[in-house]
Amino acid sequence: MFEHVQVIHSSEQEVCIHISCVSCPHSIGLSILKKMNTVDDNEKVTDVHEQTFPQTEAAEKSFSDEANHETPLNYQDDTIAATTDGSSLTPSKEGVEEKPKKLCGYLYKLGMKGPLKAWKYRFFSYDDMKCNLLYYRIATDVCALGSIDLHAATFHFDVEAEEGIFEIKTPTKPYILKAINKHARMYWLQQLQRKRWEYCNNPSKIQTECIMSSDVHDREGSLHFGDGDFLSPVTTPTDVVGKMVALMPAPQESTSLQNISLKHPWKEIQNTVRNMCGSKPTQAISRSVFHFEESEQVSAEVTTKQFGKMSPSLNFARKARKQNGGFSSNLENISSDKLDNPQLQIQALTEELKSQKDLVKLLHRTLESAQEEKRVCAEYLSAPEEKDRLELIRHKVRQIEDLRQRVEVLQQEKQDLEQCVSLKDFHIEELKEHVQLLMEKNSAKQLVIMKQNEQLLSQMDLDNTTSSGMDTLHGQYRKIDSLMDDINAYKTQNRFLNSEIHQVTQLWRNTAEKETALLMKCSYIEARNCQLESKYLILLRKLQEVLPYLDADYCEVIKRLIEDALQSDIKTPLQPSNVHFSPISEYDDYGFMIIPEYELEHLKLLAKIQALEIRSNKLLTHDVVDKPLRIKWNSLEELSYSTDLKNLVRCGIPTEHRKRVWKWLTCQRINFSANHYKDLLKKCESAQHPATQQIELDIHRTLTNNKHFNSPTSEFIQKLRRVLFAYSWQNPTIGYCQGLNRLAALALLVLEDEESAFYCLADIVENIMPTEYYSNNLSGSQVDQRVFKDLLSEKLPRLTAHFEQYKIDLSLITFNWFLVVFVDSLVSDILLKVWDAFLYEGTKVIFRYALAIFKYNEEEILKLTDATDIYQYLSFFTKTICDGRKLMNIAFNEMNPFPMKLVRKSRAEHMEKFKAELVELEYIKREYVKSKKELRSTGNDMGVSEDEEDT
Amino acid sequence: MAIRELKVCLLGDTGVGKSSIVCRFVQDHFDHNISPTIGASFMTKTVPCGNELHKFLIWDTAGQERFHSLAPMYYRGSAAAVIVYDITKQDSFHTLKKWVKELKEHGPENIVMAIAGNKCDLSDIREVSMKDAKEYADSIGAIVVETSAKNAINVEELFQGISRRIPPLEPQQNGSNGAVKLGRQSLHQTNRCC
Ligand SMILES: Nc1nc2c(ncn2[C@@H]2O[C@H](COP(=O)(O)OP(=O)(O)O)[C@@H](O)[C@H]2O)c(=O)[nH]1
Ligand SMILES: [Mg+2]
Repeated sequence: MFEHVQVIHSSEQEVCIHISCVSCPHSIGLSILKKMNTVDDNEKVTDVHEQTFPQTEAAEKSFSDEANHETPLNYQDDTIAATTDGSSLTPSKEGVEEKPKKLCGYLYKLGMKGPLKAWKYRFFSYDDMKCNLLYYRIATDVCALGSIDLHAATFHFDVEAEEGIFEIKTPTKPYILKAINKHARMYWLQQLQRKRWEYCNNPSKIQTECIMSSDVHDREGSLHFGDGDFLSPVTTPTDVVGKMVALMPAPQESTSLQNISLKHPWKEIQNTVRNMCGSKPTQAISRSVFHFEESEQVSAEVTTKQFGKMSPSLNFARKARKQNGGFSSNLENISSDKLDNPQLQIQALTEELKSQKDLVKLLHRTLESAQEEKRVCAEYLSAPEEKDRLELIRHKVRQIEDLRQRVEVLQQEKQDLEQCVSLKDFHIEELKEHVQLLMEKNSAKQLVIMKQNEQLLSQMDLDNTTSSGMDTLHGQYRKIDSLMDDINAYKTQNRFLNSEIHQVTQLWRNTAEKETALLMKCSYIEARNCQLESKYLILLRKLQEVLPYLDADYCEVIKRLIEDALQSDIKTPLQPSNVHFSPISEYDDYGFMIIPEYELEHLKLLAKIQALEIRSNKLLTHDVVDKPLRIKWNSLEELSYSTDLKNLVRCGIPTEHRKRVWKWLTCQRINFSANHYKDLLKKCESAQHPATQQIELDIHRTLTNNKHFNSPTSEFIQKLRRVLFAYSWQNPTIGYCQGLNRLAALALLVLEDEESAFYCLADIVENIMPTEYYSNNLSGSQVDQRVFKDLLSEKLPRLTAHFEQYKIDLSLITFNWFLVVFVDSLVSDILLKVWDAFLYEGTKVIFRYALAIFKYNEEEILKLTDATDIYQYLSFFTKTICDGRKLMNIAFNEMNPFPMKLVRKSRAEHMEKFKAELVELEYIKREYVKSKKELRSTGNDMGVSEDEEDT
Repeated sequence: MAIRELKVCLLGDTGVGKSSIVCRFVQDHFDHNISPTIGASFMTKTVPCGNELHKFLIWDTAGQERFHSLAPMYYRGSAAAVIVYDITKQDSFHTLKKWVKELKEHGPENIVMAIAGNKCDLSDIREVSMKDAKEYADSIGAIVVETSAKNAINVEELFQGISRRIPPLEPQQNGSNGAVKLGRQSLHQTNRCC
């Protein structure tokens, strides 16, 4: 891997280590400026070590950022001095206790993904700044292999799992860790909880809090670590956690191959490099300082030792080096696989050597016998005479004879022995048979014994004798013991989980509170923004009005500004990133378009202003007004007429209750048989009411600003048709009156169910409205216009005078307000509130609101001094009303007293007058026709066309 | 330039396209699903005519029979009335005749009447011939055009025709502000009430 490590002496106090990496395509040069600190006083060492963690990060960063460059790093002195001389290392206990304890220590971490699913021994260290738990291969590592984000994590452990295992669940990934024992595990869990708590309640860390209201701060001040009384903190297992552990060598370093992180090869390399530079014997480096010429050899030594830690295969190199003592540093250039070969060779050679030795021995023996033979031959040949030779031969013959006899004797002996053997064999055979017999006997006996045992056992079970009871009792005691253990374990787990739940809930609650506070603040700011924007648009509108009188330059600027204002889409600035909070859509709950569509160019700005005002109103009332109302409505169970309910209804029924209340209100007044609606529908099929055509013409043109009535295939259109058809037979004299379609449509939108909508329509037409409101010349409606005129002059005399001055006929404007109860006049959310009260209290609500609408805009109207302008303003001004609460206040407070008795009386009087006028009108008509006829009979040249007309 | 305000009301059967004609004239826009008019709706548009500006104050009315009793409110004081029928509906032409009669009996004396045969884009299903309409219009001295609010045919022309029929201002009538509310001169004409 690392081919070359160079230590270059650059100054007396600094050493440059240059490492070039072969495995990387581009050689990575790293030079680390190392301040040489000939540390002798070990007291300083601990301090140095404490600083390592924050520093390592910086180091890691610049390392990865600029790996290709030579980056000088200011690096605190190596800590190896600490490990070499650990006697005075232990810092005084008080010193540790005083500072916030650094949470770190060794744990096993279950490798989750990598090819090896195994426990990895890791050094864990908590980082206060980020609430992260960083883990390293060993304590002295510089670069963390990874980090666990704790701020949103939950902790858990399982009783039945292996001892010491616990789990950290982060939103993204679970981590399974193992402490060496239960105690250590509990310590870790509690510390982690504490850290999470401290982090989550640290006010300085959240920047958003600077805009938080102060009360949130106050509450926060009183927050403490919410441990509850669930679990008393366990003592610190100093032998397994804390800084001290970091100073000790990792216990399992020898088997470090399995600990090498396969996922982070690059980090491994970095760490190795760091360790090398950061923790190698000082003397090695200091020597290099003083013996510059030896630097290469020293660096080689450094490398070798490091590599020895990294993998066993590299260990070999070290061994080899030790064995051969005199190996030059060139050995380091041999790559690891090459180092394997010599050992194999040696083995082979040793084996070969052995066999060679055997061969040599054999050869020696043959050599000996050959020499003996040679010696005898030589003797024979050297004999001087025949006699001697003969003697010699005879001697040999005798020798041979002798030997033959010996052979015979031995053969005899052998035969004897063989006989003996066969005898013994036979004997053995016999014995074997005997054994066989005995075995059989034995097994039979055993069987009997077994049977008897069984019998005995069953008898014992039956009798429940005392002796066996003792045995089982022991077993049960043991069982109880283990169960007790389990109970204890579960108890601790339970207590831990309780504390976990407690804390997490507390955290959640705090966060939720903060969130709501922020959301409120946000909506308030947004509302303010809307208001400002609408003010700006109003200004633009004012400028637009006086545009013709301005200089051309200003004109251009203003026109451009208006264009910009119109183009910037209303929804974009209003749509915050967190859409879940009051999502802004084009349509409201009932499908009404929120932003009114004005076709006229000069009204487009107005539409925008309105949209902004509606929005700011909604935002401002949402928390202050709507919420308390909702709470009241939710607590309401039985509905019954009462002042309380009346006042509640006047404020507007919340959407989720409106359907129920409307249904209830109609049911109070209407009493149809169960099949009434179905019967009417049947009638529709059999007979067509003359109004059918008009209904067909109108249903597709109902509530065109509502999405449910937009498409001709919509379900609502079909329902509307059936409701109106049914009503045409419910009251054939009315049949259908233009406007009923809008009433029915609104009822349908709220009640959804067409039968309920039908009853609601019938209720309005027949019970709430006075007679002849929709039939017979709409006389009821016309009378109400007169009643209203009287009321207006009573309640708003100034305005009445103004209208009289410009000869404004208000009924041109207000007639349809009454006929369709403001549908299509008011914006939808105000409209629905008006309807809530209208269904509860009846027609006086229409009067109240009609008056309130004029009052609301009184000043505006008084400013207008031209009949046309007034008419023009009155033709759209209802839609400009955005503040429903203000309007409601005017309607129900400022217009008081408002006795219905007077209205009824006024109605009766006007009806009488109206009828009289009608009679008079009939009379005048008749007179007119008569006079014309007379005129025609006298002068013939005039009446031709009239005649034709009559045919 | 003098601005004259001319009150104009639209009369005619329901669904013949009165509102559509107004919408086309004022906003140059056609909406197939225009809401039926209830009571009345008010719009204005100013067009040049000769050396005057005519500001039309247009009152669009509801067409359903039972709303007829409201009509006097609208045609009272009107300088002109546009009576609309649907060329694809004979009935609507009949209703038109009734309106003419009512105007003759109760309307302002010198009211300008304009007959509009609307929906002329649907002439293949026509029920009222151009000839009938023309003859009738001539007989009562009214303007007549076939219009299409949908395709913007003759709508401008209809109002131009009305403009031309309005007698030019007599010099002594010209007030100091240059605006004369011609329509209201005849307000006092009858005391017939709505
Ligand atoms: N084809 C066609 N349809 C039209 C025309 N003018 C109006 N309409 C349609 O006729 C229906 C009634 O129109 P509207 O203006 O409401 O009639 P009103 O009741 O007289 O006001 C609507 O559906 C219009 O789309 C036209 O010129 N051509
Ligand atoms: Mg209409």
